[in-house]
Amino acid sequence: MSTKNKKVMVVGGGIAGLTAAWELSRFNIDVELIEKTPFLGGYAIQYCCKATDECRQCGACTVEAMLKNVVNEPKIKVHLATDVEKINNSGRFSVDLKKSSYQPVSATEGVIRGYSKNNSPLHVIVDKEKCEENPDAVPEGAVELDTMGFSGKLDVDAVILASGFQPFDAEQKGTYGYKKFPNVVTGMDLERIIRENATVVRPSDGKAAQKIAFIQCVGSRDENLGNLWCSQVCCPYALRMAETIKHKNADAEISIFYMDIQNVGKNYAEFYEKCKTDFRFVRNIPVDVFPMENDSLSMRYMNEEDGLCINEEFDLLVLSVGIMPGPDNNDLSGIFDVGLNEDGFFAGIDKLNSTSTLKGGIFLAGTVAGPKDIAASMAHAGQAASEVIKHLGVS
Amino acid sequence: MTDMKHTDMEEINIATDVLVLGGGLTGIKAASEIAGSGYKVILVEKDAELGGRKGPGTLVGLKEESKGLQDLEDKIKTDSNVEILTQASLVSAAGVTGDFTARLLKGAEVIEQNVGAIVVATEFATGALNEKYGLSLADNVLTQSRMDELLASESDKEKFANKTVAFLVSLGQEGNPLVLERGLRSVLALQEIDGCDAYIYAGDLKVASNGLERMYKESREKGAVYFKLTEKPEIVENGKTISFFDSVARRNIEISPDFIVVEEEMCANHLNEELAEILRINVGPSGFLQSDNVHFFPVRSNREGIFVAGSTREISSLPSAWTDVENIAIEVKDLLGDGKKIVAKNKAVVNEDKCVICLTCYRCCPHGAIYWGDKKAIISPVACQGCGICASECPMDAIQVGGFEDEDMTEKVKSGVVSGNGTPRLLAFCCQNSAFEAGEMADMFKMPLPEGLRMIKVPCAGKIDLDYILNAFVAGADGILVMACHPGNCKSENGNTFAQWRVNDAYRMMEEVGLEKDRLCFVGTASNMGSGFSSIVVDMEKRINELGLSPLK
Repeated sequence: MSTKNKKVMVVGGGIAGLTAAWELSRFNIDVELIEKTPFLGGYAIQYCCKATDECRQCGACTVEAMLKNVVNEPKIKVHLATDVEKINNSGRFSVDLKKSSYQPVSATEGVIRGYSKNNSPLHVIVDKEKCEENPDAVPEGAVELDTMGFSGKLDVDAVILASGFQPFDAEQKGTYGYKKFPNVVTGMDLERIIRENATVVRPSDGKAAQKIAFIQCVGSRDENLGNLWCSQVCCPYALRMAETIKHKNADAEISIFYMDIQNVGKNYAEFYEKCKTDFRFVRNIPVDVFPMENDSLSMRYMNEEDGLCINEEFDLLVLSVGIMPGPDNNDLSGIFDVGLNEDGFFAGIDKLNSTSTLKGGIFLAGTVAGPKDIAASMAHAGQAASEVIKHLGVS
Repeated sequence: MTDMKHTDMEEINIATDVLVLGGGLTGIKAASEIAGSGYKVILVEKDAELGGRKGPGTLVGLKEESKGLQDLEDKIKTDSNVEILTQASLVSAAGVTGDFTARLLKGAEVIEQNVGAIVVATEFATGALNEKYGLSLADNVLTQSRMDELLASESDKEKFANKTVAFLVSLGQEGNPLVLERGLRSVLALQEIDGCDAYIYAGDLKVASNGLERMYKESREKGAVYFKLTEKPEIVENGKTISFFDSVARRNIEISPDFIVVEEEMCANHLNEELAEILRINVGPSGFLQSDNVHFFPVRSNREGIFVAGSTREISSLPSAWTDVENIAIEVKDLLGDGKKIVAKNKAVVNEDKCVICLTCYRCCPHGAIYWGDKKAIISPVACQGCGICASECPMDAIQVGGFEDEDMTEKVKSGVVSGNGTPRLLAFCCQNSAFEAGEMADMFKMPLPEGLRMIKVPCAGKIDLDYILNAFVAGADGILVMACHPGNCKSENGNTFAQWRVNDAYRMMEEVGLEKDRLCFVGTASNMGSGFSSIVVDMEKRINELGLSPLK
């Protein structure tokens, strides 16, 4: 069968959606890529490089490369700031799209910027009034959010759902003081801090942090929250970022509070040995954090040696927040009539084929179907693309 | 895109048969998918039977799927697109993608096959770890595999009624989710047996796989007791008692189990290293194939047209092996197409008049893309990745890379040395995969950049000739940066290493002429780190300002 006129809609422009779109375009399939925010790249485009004197295989650079592939590929049509409203299946899928209701979480300025130079537009005006107050600060080429988004209909032959995850909202664990104490940050925040500054600075004073604690499993493996899964990415990102910090500042004292350390990459055994010489590992998840002078933080936890509680002071506290089901999963589940699993992620057809769904023609890619790192999301998206190609009978 | 402007294209014919090495489940699935795309597959298995190596752990948690797997195995045997060679092995593989000549040994017979792509699908191996715990296998000391066997038999199961079973996990090795899942499934199965109690002594519980945390919780709710330790418990009289000091309860906890189940390690197939040598692909950590390089994940190797699946490349559950296979299916399809391929004529061209067939290029090509004919070395336009390492290493300067010809590069070096109003003239040779992207990002995001800095794009740091560096100094550069991908991140595996060697050569020469070493800097950068690029070049400018302008100008 010819590939002519075959069209696939990919929902979500994060790393899984980008990869799926790119793989399909290699087979001459037209792709409509729908992204609810004004920027492609999702969360993964915000991550920093975690190399020390060698690459640590975090994969952040591969996201940049994939985004570049996609924006240069004419077979892929990108719809930013757009949501799926409705879908009808009558042979082909008829999809109603609408301008998304996206609002930036914290628009302290009138303009927001994409994380990649390959984002187009690079700057988006989210608050016109603020921009009018200071028009010189508005970068050239900035586009008003209000003018973005696509409302209309599309006919497509298949759909890949790649709407991703959301990071755990650390404010839910109130005793850690996230957003109350400036030097309590999440793993996501730390990614962005390093990405922007090429080094770690304390949010409170912009100075280098010397004594740093990472708390693992924030939001993951948490019975109280009903989150009975391991997010699979937090040990890798925490240990890799900790190594990056240590590489830049050999005097940094880093402690990792954990339940069970999960494997990091293909060369895990060697990497973990290095981590054990570089950091202090404490098998205990602290509960309470108190503010100190100089915006430092005091943390109470149990000392394994003698079973007694100790208080210890840190300059910076990093909460290793996990992967939660996407905020739109329930809505999307309704729109596409595809079920969620007991954890709230989308359910694949069986264990061996986690990209196909019970609904013919609708496929899953990436963290929409459960926690995955960058490499695993890309592989899953490749698998989804392969299943779509088979489904369409493209050769 | 713009690099293609000089490029003339040509159409070539390539072989479209595919060789799959390994007749385990992953190999069978790969053969089935590739044959399904319309290519002829030669499936090679060293044992007498296909799928015979359903090794321990392969089918963990896939009871429901096992019927489908049997069907897949049966179907492949009657698939007219699949030729099955059992008791056969690969002895050599000459040529490049699109035109590999594979020689297979089956008994005394040598079979030659011309194939376009090769898939390696070896299974992992397992080994008992009882010695790590000072235990000898006995009636009461079982391997996880033995436990799996016993639990699979209704009559054997009964021997665990009213017994206490202790599991040792992640203390004799780091372990992985597959090892934990095997243990958890045994625990859950034992909990179905009357009066059977399970105790688990564990290091880090490797729950980083879908569903494992729930299984862990279920087993605890059903009464399994977990002791999470940082070192092995004390075991006496080959498992008669196990004890350790509990830091929370502040006391010794001792148990006398009826059975002890010892975890097994999962390791790379012993055939991997030999296959890697024959196929000229790199071996990664712990004997798994595919180097630890993000640009190859999930299924690519350093050579175009040679793919690795599942447990060939890391310890894989069957679902992840399936993911790999689907990725290979589209890679193969994209690579082989309908057997006609449009390729760039000038990707890398060897000048017959200059080439003396010294084989330097053959040896240094990280992609195994070069072979030789009667009069000159030949670079396959399909296998070549255009890194240019060969062009820079060629002692006769006989190789030109499209878009990066020597003449153009010489001109770019000259014109790249510009004065920034009295500030240092800085030249940065930037790998297009990393530093060049980061530099553009820094510029676009208005991060600080020295006024006198110019970037020269190269296809890979391995293309940076010693001549480029020396010419730049002669042209008056005050400082030169050689900006490569971090070690382990080079798309051409070791282009950055070649660049580092050339920088070291340059240091020696600079020393001879009395030029300060600080004027030349070799550094790793990532494509997404504009901030990193900015801080490197700003630091460099500071250093040059301290040194003063170049004495050569």
